[in-house]
Amino acid sequence: MTAITPTPDIPTPQAHASLLRRLVKRPLGAISFAFIVFVGLVAIFGPMLAPYDPNKASLQLVLAPPSAEHLLGGDSAGRDVFSRLLAATQVSVAAALLALVVALMIGVIAGLIAGYYRGWFDSVSAWFTALVMSLPGLVVLLAARAVVGPSVWISMIIFGVILSPAFYRLTYVAVTAVRNELYVDAARVSGLSDGRIISRHILYVVRAPIIIQSAIIASIAIAIQAGLDFLGLGDTSLPTWGGMLNDGFANIYKAPLLMLWPSLAIALTSIALVLLANAMRDVLERTVVVRRRRRRAVATATGSVAAVTTSIGAVTGSTEAALDDELAAVKPIEHRDDDRAAARTGEVVLSVTDLRVGYETDKGSTEVVHGVSLDIRRGEVHGLIGESGSGKTQTAFAVLGLLPRGGRITTGSVEYEGVRLDHASEREFTAIRGRRIGYIPQEPMSNLDPSFTIGSQLVEPLRVGLGLSKKAATEKALALLDRVGIPDPKRTFAAYPHEISGGMAQRVLIAGAVSTDPDLIIADEPTTALDVTVQAEVLDVLRGLQEERHMAMLLVTHNFGVVADLCDRVSVMQAGRIVETGPVRSIFHHAEHPYTESLLAAILDEGPARPPLGLSTEGALR
Amino acid sequence: MLPFVLRRLASGVVLVFVISVIAYTLLYLGGGDIARRILGQSATQETVDQKAAELGLDQPLFAQFWDWLTSALQGDLGRSWFTGQLVATGVSGRLAVTLSIVIGATLVSAIVAVVLGVLAARRGGWIDSVVQFVTVIGFAIPGFLIALYLVLIFAINLHWFKATGYIPFTTSPSGWVASVTLPIIALSFAAIAAVAQQVRGSVLDALSRDYVRTLRSRGLSMNRVVYKHVLRNAGGPALAILALQFIGLLGGAIIIERVFALPGLGQLTVEATSAGDIPIVMGIVIVTAIIVVVVNLLIDIAQAALNPKVRLS
Amino acid sequence: MLRWRTAAAAVAITGALALTSCAADGGGSTDGGGNLTLGAILAPTTLDPAGSEWGNRAPYYQAVFDTLLLATPEGTIEPWLATEWSYNEDNTVLTLTLRDDVTFSDGSKLTGDVVKQNLERFKAGTSPDAGYFSGIASIEAPDETTVVITLSAPDPAMLNYLTRDPGLIGSAESFESEDLATNPVGSGPYILDTDATVTGTSYVYTKNPDYWNPDVQHYDGLTINVLGDATAALNAIKAGEANGVKLISNDNLAEVEGAGWTVNANELDFQGMLLLDRAGTMNPALNDVRVRQAFNYAFDREALLTALQTDHGTVTTQVFPETSDAYDPALDDYYTYDPDKAKELLAEAGYGDGLTVSMPSSTLLGEATYTLISQQLADVGITAEYTDPGNNFIADLLAPKFPASFMALEQNPDWQLIQFMIAPTAVFNPFHYEDPKVNEYIQQIQFGDEATQASVAKELNTYIVEQAWFAPFYRVQGSYGTDANTTVEMLPTNAYPAIYDFQPKG
Repeated sequence: MTAITPTPDIPTPQAHASLLRRLVKRPLGAISFAFIVFVGLVAIFGPMLAPYDPNKASLQLVLAPPSAEHLLGGDSAGRDVFSRLLAATQVSVAAALLALVVALMIGVIAGLIAGYYRGWFDSVSAWFTALVMSLPGLVVLLAARAVVGPSVWISMIIFGVILSPAFYRLTYVAVTAVRNELYVDAARVSGLSDGRIISRHILYVVRAPIIIQSAIIASIAIAIQAGLDFLGLGDTSLPTWGGMLNDGFANIYKAPLLMLWPSLAIALTSIALVLLANAMRDVLERTVVVRRRRRRAVATATGSVAAVTTSIGAVTGSTEAALDDELAAVKPIEHRDDDRAAARTGEVVLSVTDLRVGYETDKGSTEVVHGVSLDIRRGEVHGLIGESGSGKTQTAFAVLGLLPRGGRITTGSVEYEGVRLDHASEREFTAIRGRRIGYIPQEPMSNLDPSFTIGSQLVEPLRVGLGLSKKAATEKALALLDRVGIPDPKRTFAAYPHEISGGMAQRVLIAGAVSTDPDLIIADEPTTALDVTVQAEVLDVLRGLQEERHMAMLLVTHNFGVVADLCDRVSVMQAGRIVETGPVRSIFHHAEHPYTESLLAAILDEGPARPPLGLSTEGALR
Repeated sequence: MLPFVLRRLASGVVLVFVISVIAYTLLYLGGGDIARRILGQSATQETVDQKAAELGLDQPLFAQFWDWLTSALQGDLGRSWFTGQLVATGVSGRLAVTLSIVIGATLVSAIVAVVLGVLAARRGGWIDSVVQFVTVIGFAIPGFLIALYLVLIFAINLHWFKATGYIPFTTSPSGWVASVTLPIIALSFAAIAAVAQQVRGSVLDALSRDYVRTLRSRGLSMNRVVYKHVLRNAGGPALAILALQFIGLLGGAIIIERVFALPGLGQLTVEATSAGDIPIVMGIVIVTAIIVVVVNLLIDIAQAALNPKVRLS
Repeated sequence: MLRWRTAAAAVAITGALALTSCAADGGGSTDGGGNLTLGAILAPTTLDPAGSEWGNRAPYYQAVFDTLLLATPEGTIEPWLATEWSYNEDNTVLTLTLRDDVTFSDGSKLTGDVVKQNLERFKAGTSPDAGYFSGIASIEAPDETTVVITLSAPDPAMLNYLTRDPGLIGSAESFESEDLATNPVGSGPYILDTDATVTGTSYVYTKNPDYWNPDVQHYDGLTINVLGDATAALNAIKAGEANGVKLISNDNLAEVEGAGWTVNANELDFQGMLLLDRAGTMNPALNDVRVRQAFNYAFDREALLTALQTDHGTVTTQVFPETSDAYDPALDDYYTYDPDKAKELLAEAGYGDGLTVSMPSSTLLGEATYTLISQQLADVGITAEYTDPGNNFIADLLAPKFPASFMALEQNPDWQLIQFMIAPTAVFNPFHYEDPKVNEYIQQIQFGDEATQASVAKELNTYIVEQAWFAPFYRVQGSYGTDANTTVEMLPTNAYPAIYDFQPKG
């Protein structure tokens, strides 16, 4: 494998260039964004458009109803409400921006420095944060008022300081998270100055969350300004939304309309800011998901299989359509049973027929599994092999009824021991999962709940599913831990997931999967994430258990070595279809489909073993 | 854990000290002619000077603060310069009111936010949209408007609750409920919005974790997985935001106190600070700082209890 | 505690400024003669009679303490703790005869010596009204039921003073107590329940079983809640959480009546401009009577009354109240709204190009008032330059730091009013402006007989109006709401009705 050497000039994540474009594609995002732009324009040009002097009072206009000359009527001092609203927009927006800028400057700079350098600055900043949080804002505000008089600007600067911890925390967390990323290390090694690293790499990463937080803080600043006016702590020399709202509130019974306009301005602006923040977050979260998926694809690329074919990655409509045409007419090549396979005559435990799995997305439905059929008999190990994104894991999840959100079985049937599962209810599934089908996942660490001990995670299903007493469940769990080769079961039982190694964790997961004595085990790449030496041991455990309990097993893998090791039968999947299926020897020796051949060729080139994972993937990513 | 708590308490003591220095300095700078304010303008200058000397107002800042500090360290926060009331009595009475509504609002918003956040995260689709929209609206409408409408509907028209005033729990538990219910609801709105968003986010995050699928594959129902495993993992961030909300409400309760004519700490803060009633303000500052320190400590301990990876150090 | 202690409970502005809203331990509604729940704008600072105030804070003291004399709704002064009183020939020695059947709630008896101690404490005390006693030379208590007050000069308002805070009498034994400020001991109709009371927000009283005058004890208990916020007060009214509430403004009278309440009214305060710097020490322009008159012509009083008080009040150009001897109906419209005349006068005075006057403003008095004033002044060429001194509003005004200001002041009886805003030493004459003619009038009133006092007061009033010492806008209606079960009689001389004058209806 060619290690990808990180160069200093690795581009940092490029999620932002099109953030705005993607944002405005979402209806809520577009509307919010448009409204904010509108408010901004009013803030800039509003006072010029105002038909009257916003401070010009007229006795005749006191609490006047709306009229042709005065579109929104007059306020309690007989000033034109419309003109005031326009002028107040400028002041209120400027005030909110002032608070925001102050909070940003303090919070982000302190967060960057504290997060990047740690050390004393870190503890001083944390302490300062606690200080700002503990000091009653009102006392500071009133004291400042007593000294310099009422000023909306001073108030907003004070609240900017008070709000700065929000940015500080955000920046600090983000910076501590990325400062040890490889590309930052690389930049450091290559001799980039701290200043450049912070401005080029780190600031870039925290930019998006800061923008989101800014929207929230801006709306809080607007609310605070209104609140101060309500308390009579405002600055009456300038028109503000809060001042107008307070005027309306005081005259709520005499001129109820008066309160409407500033309320609308405040509420709509706040709503727009929050919705905009939400929309931005959603857009970004999506970016993160896509990135994570790609990362896995790359990880797989370092293994044996996918390297030989083009990674399809996230299946999109268009590429899929092309494959559809190409593969539509293709029926799987079926190898006849050889003697050894024919000898397995246990009843069929799992029967999947013409299974199709689709996902509902914003753009309609996308099908990822296009008609898969396979049977597994008792005691038989059926390998499902293919590259990432070929639909093998989706097939496995469909059988378990654990498709991710939006996914469902569109047609076809899944029959397990005579029970139809393809449209089974959650309750029916709950009765079958765990008790009669076990599942072994791919990544051992992420599949254990970090907040609970190993023991409690093993005991809970035994008690809930099998109704064992606490004592019996504990004994059984300890025995299983022993069986899967864990040296000190009691210690592991009491440990939290982060306290054990990946190999141990995978053994724990295997123990969990077989703990309820299921008839079928679905193992999804059970060894992929493990070191080579550990892989073999875990496979041994798996094989031993399978034989001992005479379980059926659906083994999802991309590794022909594992197939050769464990399987009786194998189905090769490509792009959501089974292209070739048959007894394992037959496939190995007489592969007919070119895809199968290429997969087999890959093993011969590289050998079944894979290099340890995780060395270069982080750096290799983009 | 004990060393951790002790260390945090020690740093808390330093914090409270520094805050009292800052607060006293601010009050000193913004004080104006406090003795004149106490006595009114008809008093002669000699009387005012005499009063100023009696209160130590003629002393330099450091000496004034030192006097206050030495008494405070002996547990004597003094008496209000204006009403002669013991600071400890005055502040604790007001604190009970504010804590009643702030703790109430924190609990209510925590429960509602968890229900809404989990609902939005699990169901997705239109339920998610509705929950998000409702919480955003709650966030965007000024609290005193919400309070006003609550009063109009539930106190004035339906007579279910009280429109004004506070009845201590010890006087009448049912009266207490009647007097704090509306303020708590009014305070909760914005907090629910913020916490529900956080809960939704963390639950979504936790739901996407692999172990959720694995736990379900063991035959645990979705509800069980969500309420036992997902919530526990999502609990850390939610708790953190809840603590921030609590502290924010402590300061923000004044608007609700004003609308409901509640004798709370916020109102006392504004009154005492404007008047320059330094002993009262310092009492408030100290109490608030201690509450913040304790809440932060409790939250950290709770975080550690929730998440075994967190080490208390 | 935004409370601004001012000389004379007189300063009605404290009422309007009372956004100080502490809050209320709201009481329920009454049941006939059972419990009376009142709403007040302000909380008392201390319940020590020597630090007491009147005006909106009167009920807290009146519930616990008796005054020496009583002011009635009819505007007369009647016996109370003192049954008889008389002046000597030159009005400098006042002799009071006390009741002999009065005991304080701690069991001690009312005696001449107790009264002497009370009056002396008040004189030396921290009450903003302590200055009322500045003219007292000595106080003697020759026997158990007699008190003799010797004045250094006649004070025509002294009897009136004794109906309010300076006349409050507390138990001498309680003066030693540490908690005098929060645990008052008097002889009044009610006793403060210190356990149920929350200082600053809710004051709970029980009936005094041994009261000497049970005829005025119409209730078994009394609760006074502080409702300083207009909306909160209105909510309390609508929800029926009080029997009587002092209304901060006239903004929501329709709503109050809509809730089935009665609005009881008096006219106690005037609102308008105080043209304080008549000497021209800070702003020479104000030394010119034409400039001061221009101010008076600049305001459209009728329109201001409509805009700011929803027409609840009477326009006027004089500062003396209708009940005073000095009052002259003709002076209510001495100046009319005439901006052209105002400009003319300013031009004559040499300010045709404009004049800038600095004034204090307060967010607490409502922004609308200041905005409208500055607009009206701007229309005639006067620029109002506002500064918001925050909590120091009155202190700065009286320092003096401003040549003129908008203000709301209580209109007291003749002599009291003169001492409050006209005399060279008056509190609201902070520049100590003197006019020989005014001094002469004052002299005549102080030492004249009653008939002279009345006629000279009228002359003084006319002179002050002509000289435009003030630019009053209107006498504003003071409003007190009572629910359907309660009646009250308003006092012509105080913002808050007397406790004795509340009665269950029917």
